[in-house]
Amino acid sequence: MVEIKKTGLKPKEEIIELLEGKNKIFVIACNKCYKEYTDETNEELDQFLKLMQENGKNVVGTARIDFLCNGQTAGKKISEFKNMDEAETICVVSCGIGAQTTMATLDGKPVYTVSDSLSIADNATTPQAYHGICIFGQKCAACGQCYLNFTGGICPIVECSKSLINGPCGGAKNGKCEISKEHDCAWEKIYERLSKQNRVQDFIFLQVNVNDFSKPTVEQTNALIKAVRDKRDENFYGGLHPYSNKDSTTDLPITAFPEPETVAILLSQHTGRICEPLVKAGEKVKYGQKIGEAGAPVSAPVHSSVSGEVIAVEPLLHPALKKEVPAIIIKSDGKNTPHESIVPNDPEKLPAEKLLEIIREKGIVGLGGAMFPTHIKLKPPKPVDILMINGCECEPYLTADERVIIERTEKVFSGIHIIAKILQVKKVYFAVEDHSQKAIAKIRDYIMQNPMEEDLSLVELKTKYPQGAERMLIKKITGREVPRGGLPFEVGVVVSNVGTCAAVSDAVREGMPLVKRVITVAGENIGKPGNYEVKIGTSVKDIIAYCSGSLSGFDFISYVLKMGGPMMGVQQQTLDVPVIKGTSGIVVFKKADIEQDIARQCIQCGRCVDVCPMELSPLHFIFCAKQEKWENTAAYNVKDCIECGCCDYICPSKLPIVEIVKKAKQKIK
Amino acid sequence: MKLTELIKKKNFVVTSEIGPPKGWQVEHHLDEAKKYFAGIVDAVNVTDNQSSVMRFGSLATCHMLKDRGMEPVFQVTCRDRNRLALQSDILSAAGLGIENLLLLTGDHPKLGDHPGSKPVFDLDSVSLTHAVRQMESGVDLAGNKLDGDPPKFCKGAVVSPCAEPLEPQLMKMEKKINAGTEFFQTQAVYEPEKFARFMEKIKGWNVPVLVGIVILKSVGMAKFMNENVAGVFVPDPLIEELRKDKEKTKSGQTGVEIAARLIKEMKSMCQGVHIMPLGWDQHVPAILDAAGL
Amino acid sequence: MFILETKPKEELEKLLKPGVCVIKCIGCREISLPEEKIEELLKNLELDAKDVLAVDYLCNADFTKSRLLKYKSEIDKCNSILVFSCGVGLQVLAGMLEEKSAVQGLNTIYISGRGLAPSDYDCDQCGECLLNLTGGICPVTQCSKGLLNGPCGGAKNGKCEISKDLDCAWEKIYKKLEASGRLDSYFRKMKVRDYSKALAKPKQPV
Repeated sequence: MVEIKKTGLKPKEEIIELLEGKNKIFVIACNKCYKEYTDETNEELDQFLKLMQENGKNVVGTARIDFLCNGQTAGKKISEFKNMDEAETICVVSCGIGAQTTMATLDGKPVYTVSDSLSIADNATTPQAYHGICIFGQKCAACGQCYLNFTGGICPIVECSKSLINGPCGGAKNGKCEISKEHDCAWEKIYERLSKQNRVQDFIFLQVNVNDFSKPTVEQTNALIKAVRDKRDENFYGGLHPYSNKDSTTDLPITAFPEPETVAILLSQHTGRICEPLVKAGEKVKYGQKIGEAGAPVSAPVHSSVSGEVIAVEPLLHPALKKEVPAIIIKSDGKNTPHESIVPNDPEKLPAEKLLEIIREKGIVGLGGAMFPTHIKLKPPKPVDILMINGCECEPYLTADERVIIERTEKVFSGIHIIAKILQVKKVYFAVEDHSQKAIAKIRDYIMQNPMEEDLSLVELKTKYPQGAERMLIKKITGREVPRGGLPFEVGVVVSNVGTCAAVSDAVREGMPLVKRVITVAGENIGKPGNYEVKIGTSVKDIIAYCSGSLSGFDFISYVLKMGGPMMGVQQQTLDVPVIKGTSGIVVFKKADIEQDIARQCIQCGRCVDVCPMELSPLHFIFCAKQEKWENTAAYNVKDCIECGCCDYICPSKLPIVEIVKKAKQKIK
Repeated sequence: MKLTELIKKKNFVVTSEIGPPKGWQVEHHLDEAKKYFAGIVDAVNVTDNQSSVMRFGSLATCHMLKDRGMEPVFQVTCRDRNRLALQSDILSAAGLGIENLLLLTGDHPKLGDHPGSKPVFDLDSVSLTHAVRQMESGVDLAGNKLDGDPPKFCKGAVVSPCAEPLEPQLMKMEKKINAGTEFFQTQAVYEPEKFARFMEKIKGWNVPVLVGIVILKSVGMAKFMNENVAGVFVPDPLIEELRKDKEKTKSGQTGVEIAARLIKEMKSMCQGVHIMPLGWDQHVPAILDAAGL
Repeated sequence: MFILETKPKEELEKLLKPGVCVIKCIGCREISLPEEKIEELLKNLELDAKDVLAVDYLCNADFTKSRLLKYKSEIDKCNSILVFSCGVGLQVLAGMLEEKSAVQGLNTIYISGRGLAPSDYDCDQCGECLLNLTGGICPVTQCSKGLLNGPCGGAKNGKCEISKDLDCAWEKIYKKLEASGRLDSYFRKMKVRDYSKALAKPKQPV
């Protein structure tokens, strides 16, 4: 790869003259971009500090910032420096954009740049080049009138020293340009390429090319910048817009998945202590019977999703934890004989304590994927004033929540009402992304026809991933910022997924424990994609066999299967895993389509910083991992990472950043 | 008179060139030109900041030559003027009665005595030729109507017949012809066989070509050109000839003989000769004499 | 960063021979890729948007090499390749497919910023940073004429003569210097740009 030196220190004399009579200097240095991330030294900064020392200047502090050009993240970091107050002069070691950002952020202070930005192009008329994110020598001057179609894909603007567009001048000698023997004559190369493709005649009879330097106009440029910025900054910092791929299932109504012959109920389907089995092999169980429970407060019991006979209690691979966990295997008798504990209740007549008890007893956990026990979430250590319903299904492919809103509107609202009652909040926000217009219409109609006790506002958000992350939603809608490492209740908010609301309603009103849920099955080789209501414990093998038509078409050599969505879902190595409470979908991809190319070096392009909704600098994790200095990841706030996968998705070097983060989190536990 | 008309009239034309000085006092240069060129050659090129070295202007020199009864060829390069300045200067040339233009891209300023200047290259030789043709049709490059009668020029361009590879040169030559070039002057030629092959290749295009001749001053100069000057190659026997009799070479006699011989050899292949004396203006009459012109 | 716009249909029609393979680079989609316009263009060219091969980071020669292997059959049988990428992507691809004509469907426009999404600031890499003299407002990129020694006479109501969308950089600089009591600094030196500094060669690939 080409390392691009983008800046150099100004000449010593100029710096000395500039800082004449100035002292108490604070230095802000950019960590530089477009180079291989190999070490943490900053040559220019060191040079500058040395120069200051030699000249008896008092440097009161230095700070190094990633991508000083990124006004949002860098601006925040700059304003956080404390000992800057005692500084009289601030010096910036950065490219011209970083310098301008700093000068604009520290508007009231004298800020000086001690660097000159160096041109990375070798063409005087077109100083900008290297617009591709991967740096491999080819350049583009972004002239706005691409000539590559007539020149066989060799750019005359960049590669010809005179940027000639109608053919060579007479200056080349031995194939080299008149200005340098290092430089090939672009037009000789173009000629060769064109003759190889028999296109010389086309070029000769082409109209005379005249460069249009008026392109693009200021108005155009400003409009384009604004459009891009608006899209990037929608709702929250970072994030991205993956292809939604929801078309195949968005209009498919929820259908009941065929009754499984056996189910495997894992004893860990929640955050917290693992359950103890309450039944033994050979015992008969009924539909909805509690079969596992833990004594600890942070836990949730599990229930049988069929009626039949327990055939084993044995370890089974957990699809999310990726390790073996005890599971109760039950052979269904196909009758679904309900357990006696399933009795309806009227939530209006029950106190909050009793409702919480039911929710706990019925094994309700967050269905968004995190599986946090709902009864704990609904009893926050301090009062909250806002309930937020998360209907933002930002993961591509998944449409299960959308279908639940459309088809089970009443249940969802009943659940909202119960939760609001428990939390004693009056303000409820229902957030949905604008791609689910049908769900939005449904909610709007429902509110119109069914006035609620609570003050409910429907919030329609521009689609952007990961909108569904609690932190993003809270910030966008309430303006409150959840502290790093904190939980939503700390800013007075509880967030609940729509599926969880429906499950709460079922548990309270019908007495039904959490034994089934709606999942989206979609992707490659899925002949019958859809939104299926599936019994908890149903084997993924059964689902693939049913939805693909047979098992013969599926293998782990050609396909990749993820439980959850494509961004945050967990990749599986076997089909012998059961659906759990947190399974929102099953998606299948052709391995060839998503296979990661060989991971390469980090080029410090800054894309991961640009998309990280938590405003982290993921590139440092890669470097720490390479050096096996896992402890260093803590300083870069690895624990705050929500593993949304944006950095993985955008990385032009295909580095497995989330994998590294997961490992780092384990190592520094 | 336009060079193309002269070629029609005389079948074979002779041109030479002068480079204006780096200063404002041009009188001496004009006197020299009158002494060696007037009545001897058909037209005199005036170079435009040649080699990207800042000098007295080409347009003013052309005007002064005309005043002194010589036919100027106004060289125009794209290096240091954008399309406004170029068209404006060309209109000015028309106003001063200058009829012949030689339209070139120009050397990169990095090569000259102002390496820090901005390389313009807003237009190039092809688009400049196109612009002149537009003006001849009554509108400027942007299509705006010109006041009064449109100017009329004879538009020339350059080509390097001995360039390696030759094909890109031919490609550009064809583009120039399509854009309106009416005659070509060539880079210095020392290899008549190569020139013959070149002329054979362009036979169908029916465009007059003036073969370029640069007087060889020394062995060092020949070697330097071989090393550094695009499209120029001095074969070994010629270098040997220059080396053999140092005194004769120094006096210019060898260079004159070689130039005359080359012209004789190539005379029948083309429509004229363009002698670039590079300061040895005084030898031009002798060359023509020896070549029988 | 850069932004792309589609080329006119007429230009492409002349270049495409029947049997077109379409490649779309989605690496910089998050920054900008006019996907709707590309679809519209494909429709106008009577090409099926479903057959588009979407790849990311065409500018990465190694990735592109493996993509060409993956899509070998499609590419072998086509007569022209229509590429939607920035100028870099197409050059990489064309360099690997010397015998085939790769047709660029987009024009690349530079719009400020380097590496990250577009920002309000721009840097021309002039190699002789003037920000210290101009209060952190760059005259090279923000003045339409790139004037270094003060404003021209063309601004009206604080706006540039070329566009009412564009503030006069020199009026901003003046105000800024005045407010911070640094008006003397910009009178200090007469500046002439040295364009040879903009000719620095990049390091060669390793």
